[in-house]
Amino acid sequence: MIRITRRAALAGAVAGLAAPSLARAQNLTKTSVGVLRLSSSGPVFIAAERGYWREAGLDVELKYFTAAQQVPVAVTSGDADFGVTGLTAAFFNLAGKGALKIVAAQSREEKGFELNAYMATNAAIEKGFRSIRDFPGKRLGITTAGSTFHYALGLIARKYGFDPASVTLVPLQTLPNMQAAFKGGQVDAVIVPVTLARALEADKAGKILAWVGDETPWQLGALFTSPRAISEKRDLVERFIRGYLRGAADFNAAFNQRDAAGKEVRGTNFAETIGVVARAVQQSPELVTIGLPFVDAQGRLDVGDIYNQIAFWQQAGLVARDVNGKDIVDLSFVRGHMNVPRS
Amino acid sequence: MPVRGAALVAFVGLVAFWEFAVARGYVSPIFLPAPSSVLLALGELWNAGTLWRHVSESLVRLAGGWTVGTGCGLAAGFAIGVWSLGRAVGVPFVSALFPIPKISLLPLLILWLGIGEASKIATIALGVFFPTAIATYAAIDAVPRNLIRMAQSFDLPAADVLRKVVLPGALPGILAGFRISTSIALILLVSAEMIGAQYGIGAFILQAGNLMLTDQLLAGVLLISILGLALGTALTRIERRLLRWR
Amino acid sequence: MELVCEGISHRYGALEVLDGIDLTVRAGECLALLGPSGCGKSTLLGIMGGILKPSAGRVSVAGNPPAGSLNPITYIFQDFALLPWRTVEGNVALALEHRNLAAGELRARVGEALARTNLTEFSTAFPRQLSGGMRQRVGIARALAVDPAILLMDEPLSALDAQTRDLLMEDFLKLWLATRTTSVYVTHNLHEAIRLADRICVLSRRPGRIKEIVAVDLPQADRAMPVAARAMAELGERLWDAIRAEAQVAEREIADG
Repeated sequence: MIRITRRAALAGAVAGLAAPSLARAQNLTKTSVGVLRLSSSGPVFIAAERGYWREAGLDVELKYFTAAQQVPVAVTSGDADFGVTGLTAAFFNLAGKGALKIVAAQSREEKGFELNAYMATNAAIEKGFRSIRDFPGKRLGITTAGSTFHYALGLIARKYGFDPASVTLVPLQTLPNMQAAFKGGQVDAVIVPVTLARALEADKAGKILAWVGDETPWQLGALFTSPRAISEKRDLVERFIRGYLRGAADFNAAFNQRDAAGKEVRGTNFAETIGVVARAVQQSPELVTIGLPFVDAQGRLDVGDIYNQIAFWQQAGLVARDVNGKDIVDLSFVRGHMNVPRS
Repeated sequence: MPVRGAALVAFVGLVAFWEFAVARGYVSPIFLPAPSSVLLALGELWNAGTLWRHVSESLVRLAGGWTVGTGCGLAAGFAIGVWSLGRAVGVPFVSALFPIPKISLLPLLILWLGIGEASKIATIALGVFFPTAIATYAAIDAVPRNLIRMAQSFDLPAADVLRKVVLPGALPGILAGFRISTSIALILLVSAEMIGAQYGIGAFILQAGNLMLTDQLLAGVLLISILGLALGTALTRIERRLLRWR
Repeated sequence: MELVCEGISHRYGALEVLDGIDLTVRAGECLALLGPSGCGKSTLLGIMGGILKPSAGRVSVAGNPPAGSLNPITYIFQDFALLPWRTVEGNVALALEHRNLAAGELRARVGEALARTNLTEFSTAFPRQLSGGMRQRVGIARALAVDPAILLMDEPLSALDAQTRDLLMEDFLKLWLATRTTSVYVTHNLHEAIRLADRICVLSRRPGRIKEIVAVDLPQADRAMPVAARAMAELGERLWDAIRAEAQVAEREIADG
């Protein structure tokens, strides 16, 4: 018994020693990236698992966080060199103070990708809440002002020409609170991720009116770093993005393939890649399969949408007027960005 | 009062040093906004006309939650303090439920009471109830037994013993409990306003935190401190009046 | 009124405190209960006043209380038992407020009690502002205000320093001589018993039994005279002999009740 334990301990010690000594032997540069355990960060998990960064000469440490706001804060404070997460008003406030720059895309809402749903309660539907055009005058449960869910309202407001201020926002902080408020009929509608949407529908608490991606594709998340890293360690940033983009390409090839009819097909290495993501997000592969987002294979950003996001937050009074999209996005690392405003 | 002056000087000195450190760039305003920008954020709130709305909605919730929690807490505390059956039932009940973080009950409160004022008031009331009940029965336990025996020896009816001996004897302890319960009510304000509040100091702080607007965040925190200071001062006045005999 | 104790025994759990006390407090007398600490004299006083129920035996009262007596059996406490949040007059009034007196009578009774105890000018003071001796005066005033038929005093002077004690004792004696209210005076102080009591009941150590009842024949008014000094000293010695052995043992005991 004791011998086995000792041997196991010894093996652990050797393994622990091996990693850094290997890093030194190959002369890898240490760096880190802040991520959430969400499938939208799949490119990061794939790049790490398949050694794409190692091949680019980097030893990348993954730092896990539990809320989207924490990642930009960690990059601002220097706890992580890079961050990958959804774009929120908080992100733009930090970025606007010169602390962050977007360098590549994370996930994007796209037609045919059912990631986030507009849902109405049965009671509201009975009272005539038939489509997402009927939002004005309704009570919408969201997590917080400035969240991606809040922006999803802004998208349809612009598309269908209503004033987003005509919808009463009910900030509920957490998804469980939103679930409770929706079931209790205290809000008319919510915008929630697919897993929660399916659960609410299964409970017959309400109906899915539309999917955000089907309505208005937008740049949900991004890869970002600090302006200082770009100016002082540009080579490192480039190598990091190179590894990240290989992960993004793998992700896209495995998960984002559609046939001619637009129906989902399993792409290259689907099972193995889903295993990588499932391990990282600590969920079953089946569950991960339900909520796989679209990730651009070349990491290209929908730049125009990022500008729109900033404008929307500024109009809502949640982001300072002097924040400028040009200062926040660095287009020089990835080629072929989309919707780049001319100015 | 030279000691009181010292506190003021220390406070002003600290704020001045803080302002200086940010102005000279020793501290990044992203991490710690300067006192002046906190005041500026407060001024913006005032100019936008929403300051009073935030404060007044919070005050209504605080007053409602504190009153309900204190009323129930006093009743429970008295039942436990003067009635052995009340003690047998109440003490284990209070001890078991007191340590529950009230914030963890938010989803339940939403289901029961909705996301209107009721659940916010209930959150504060729950937080206030337990310390009040405990302070009350502890204060009653601390009323000297010989005074009660004296009153009984003069044949005072039970209601008179309660009103003239137990209640005033427990009053200092109960008032000390009020000090704690008002602080708890302020602490819980932020939790209470997590549930669907658009206005209120707690909601304002939460939103500022979610948006990473640190100057607004500290402005909200400043408002809560001012409120706490005002309530503390009011309580001191009340104590001085009611406990003149000490 | 007369107070009769018949076969009083009392125990706290396994601890026997009093054993077979037969004692009559005669109308108009001051009876001292003298004994070392822990002999159960306070317990006996509690039983006499009906605050405590004895394990065995019974207490009865003979005769009618005088007209106007609001609380026939009234205590004066060792620790004064004043409500700190009430003024001097408020403390005295506490004993009267629930008696449904006319407002005038209540005020008159309080005023008279304060006047008799020389407290009139302190009527609006709070207890914390008073010395120990003054506080016990309030306790006495409160007892006088209800016109008691029987006064039960539990070491009323033992919380005071020696000089205050002597002064208050003389004042109290004057008050008592004016009314001769039937009184039981619990004390462990020989000097107080000899000065005040008509009869002194000496209790033994736990369990308390009556060891001896000594009558003090000299009238209280004469006891302080120089001519009485010798007789008083002899009486003192006799009582001291009766309680010395008990007091010595009691002193070595650890108080546990």
